Amino acid sequence: MSSPVKSVAIMNSNAPLSKANAKDALDIALIFGSYEQSVSLYFQGDGVYQLIAHQQPEKVQQKDFLKTFAALAFYDIENIFICHDSLIQRGLADNFSIENVQVLNRNEFAISLHQHQTILRF
Amino acid sequence: MKKLAFVITTAPNSNLTATAINMITAALKKRIDVVGVFFYQSAVLNGCEHLALPNDEYQTHKQWQQLHNDFNLPLHLCATAAEKHGLSDDINEQKITNINKAFTLSGLGELVELNVKADRLIQL
Repeated sequence: MSSPVKSVAIMNSNAPLSKANAKDALDIALIFGSYEQSVSLYFQGDGVYQLIAHQQPEKVQQKDFLKTFAALAFYDIENIFICHDSLIQRGLADNFSIENVQVLNRNEFAISLHQHQTILRF
Repeated sequence: MKKLAFVITTAPNSNLTATAINMITAALKKRIDVVGVFFYQSAVLNGCEHLALPNDEYQTHKQWQQLHNDFNLPLHLCATAAEKHGLSDDINEQKITNINKAFTLSGLGELVELNVKADRLIQL
């Protein structure tokens, strides 16, 4: 597509399996990626649970959409940021289901987020 | 003049949907170009043809239809989200639709287009 590129940040603040937000955000990320838009993913609050490894969504009658995170690299989505403070607050270790996740402190996270022209939140 | 696009994610009974309608109406009345509205997640229910909200409640879905008629405002329902919420223009052999004609079924690619066309994309 020949459209000009605008940088898009997708902010994820909800746990992966309680609502459809995580799946809906991921769908949008992949579409923007396939249109060769510049996409970054941000995870904060309960959104940090989305990247934790070894989850079993089928135990709560859900499809395993979390494995799709592994496809982000194929869509050239390589800017994936997670809030360190949110991990600490939840007692979570840096054990993620995908590589290339960058852990940022609160200030770095905010500065990085605000460099985008469009922010969508889920 | 700056161009705006909107992403709506809330159902017809949400206060945020009413706020979105107020914002868009104000923009259109000031002759700001609103290139389109994209309905995602539970917001696709705004495009349901047979919605019967209580008479004493704000008639959100009718306001969208009015905006479409008055300003030729493009209203895009996300096709995947619509399907998940039971909306279809192709129900059984009779091809019955439960989607209001003011709305168009669109893929997520339309959201990419709106984002590129608009100076600002506003999400509610």
